Amino acid sequence: MDLTLTLKQKAIRKMACQFAENELAPIAREIDAERRFPWEVIEKMGAVNFFGMQAPRKYGGAEVDSISYCIAVEELSRICAAIGLTVSVHNGVAVYPISVFANETQKKRFIPSLAAGEKIGGFCLTEPNAGSDANAIEATAIPDGDDYIVNANKIYVTNGGVADILLVFTSVVSEDVKGGMGVLIVERGTPGFTVGILEDNCGMRANPVTSIILNDCRIPKANLLGEEGQGFKIGMIALETGRIGIAAQAVGIAQGALDVSIKYAKERIQFKVPIARHQAIQMMLADMSISVEAARLLTYRAAHKKDKGESLSGPSSMAKLFAARTASHVASMGLQIHGGYGYSKEYPIERYFRDARVTEIYEGTNEIQQMVIARELMKTGS
Amino acid sequence: MKIIVCVKQVLAANRIKFDVKTNTMVRAADNSYINPNDLFAIQIAAQLKERYGGTITAVTMGPSISEEVLLEAMALGVDRGMLLSDRRFAGADTLATSYVLGMGIRKLGDFDMVLCGTESTDSNTGQVGPQLAEEMDLPQVTGVEKIEKQGSMVRLERVSDGLREVMEVTPPVLLTISREAAYPGLPSLLDIQDAYVDIKLDCFTLDDLEADEQRVGLNGSGIWVTGLTQVPNKQKRCEFIKGGFRQQVQTLMEKLREKNLID
Repeated sequence: MDLTLTLKQKAIRKMACQFAENELAPIAREIDAERRFPWEVIEKMGAVNFFGMQAPRKYGGAEVDSISYCIAVEELSRICAAIGLTVSVHNGVAVYPISVFANETQKKRFIPSLAAGEKIGGFCLTEPNAGSDANAIEATAIPDGDDYIVNANKIYVTNGGVADILLVFTSVVSEDVKGGMGVLIVERGTPGFTVGILEDNCGMRANPVTSIILNDCRIPKANLLGEEGQGFKIGMIALETGRIGIAAQAVGIAQGALDVSIKYAKERIQFKVPIARHQAIQMMLADMSISVEAARLLTYRAAHKKDKGESLSGPSSMAKLFAARTASHVASMGLQIHGGYGYSKEYPIERYFRDARVTEIYEGTNEIQQMVIARELMKTGS
Repeated sequence: MKIIVCVKQVLAANRIKFDVKTNTMVRAADNSYINPNDLFAIQIAAQLKERYGGTITAVTMGPSISEEVLLEAMALGVDRGMLLSDRRFAGADTLATSYVLGMGIRKLGDFDMVLCGTESTDSNTGQVGPQLAEEMDLPQVTGVEKIEKQGSMVRLERVSDGLREVMEVTPPVLLTISREAAYPGLPSLLDIQDAYVDIKLDCFTLDDLEADEQRVGLNGSGIWVTGLTQVPNKQKRCEFIKGGFRQQVQTLMEKLREKNLID
């Protein structure tokens, strides 16, 4: 068992780290405060393949291994979680399912512009009455000649405000009978497609999370991903993979929170010495560091299993749950180390604290991950 | 156009770890980078290759971990990497380094130009480029900003003392590249994928180079570093003067007088 990164993985970490420090660090605070999506860095991110990390080479992707993918998401999130989120959702639950389930024509049509970052991807599953219970979706697709007539009210769509190509989960309805779930590739600008309100979220504020409304929207049948009735399976496989990206994102947030806390502890003088010299602070930092490392190892393990083609649902849920809890906990401890200053917007720790919390909720809440893990245990455990 | 670029692995300025017990810098994979000034030379080499065709070979001298900078260079458009590594090279100053680089470059056969950064960010001497040119008996131009091929000549521009100098030189030539010459970008993930899949590094030891042992490492160095100590960080101290107004002024005057800041 060799836990060292390859030279290539180290080089990818260096590159992503330099990119984040050069391009994201100077704007991270401002784009959070202004709720602004930083188009000025998106083009640069496209040029270094951050939007087609695992997409097939023949469609313009970089086809990196899953550990490299995690490393890149981690490094971006360490500096700016909202942009880490854009990348993770785009690659994990938009480009990936298209790469796996689309037919050749669809791949040629949609992947190149997504992989280049010219178009941004989104994933529309959640509705007002369907979140953890994905089967409860009310969106419908009624076949009509070569098209489906789609009506949907999707909420909490990450990248919603800027996404050009979105996977929309619907129930296919034939002769008034609800059939299985279908996933449609929907393009922004299709008549009947509306971007709803921008959510005023607690964290990840630079990511334009919105609702997406489809009102009698005509989507060609040629845009159906996979087959009718395959939607739930596609969704679950996409999320299984997507969760590794969210785990990597949470590891990045936790590492970032730890980094700024160490820096602060070395600078802040109380009782005539830097607070880093006080044992209480040292113990907090030690515990934070252990959690970050453990979360990273679980995340890389899940990524490794994905590349080996092994069963993913247990490992990716474990990584996602543990890393998300770690991000929240480490950011909270980091804020405690900062004391009163940590509660102010003067220091970045409060942003990490706000950004971390949602990792325990999106792409499957902690409780859903526990259900998945328990289900796997029942299947395989003695 | 056959181009050779000399690169060096340096410690990242913001991640330097210093071992106070042994008085040495701690070199590790996570704090060693390609000398930032060499990136300009690599970028210019890549531009020349794009314009005129040809090949780029990166050459470095250092311990085996230095292969990482060759791979980094390859992700930035370099075709081949040459690592000159031997325990006997250790402790080299710029003179001994230039000799080894020269011996390595001779192994590569004919070439059009050798490009170097202006200086390294860890020792900042700016000597290796010019010394290497002397070692190899090549014409040299330092701080070059622009390179154009004109027939069998190369037209160069550089800024010196506020004047833009334009000169022509017949290859082979050694040039050090100014930081104004290019804007080095980061490699893309695809560039890294390609550079690290089919690794083509040529490794040479002192014996492979048929070099003179008396001219390498500490033996071949004109300068020996006899000690290295960390300069303590300057501590700013803030002192509050207590007492009533008059007493405060009096104490302040005394303190300023003590420091000879007032008469």
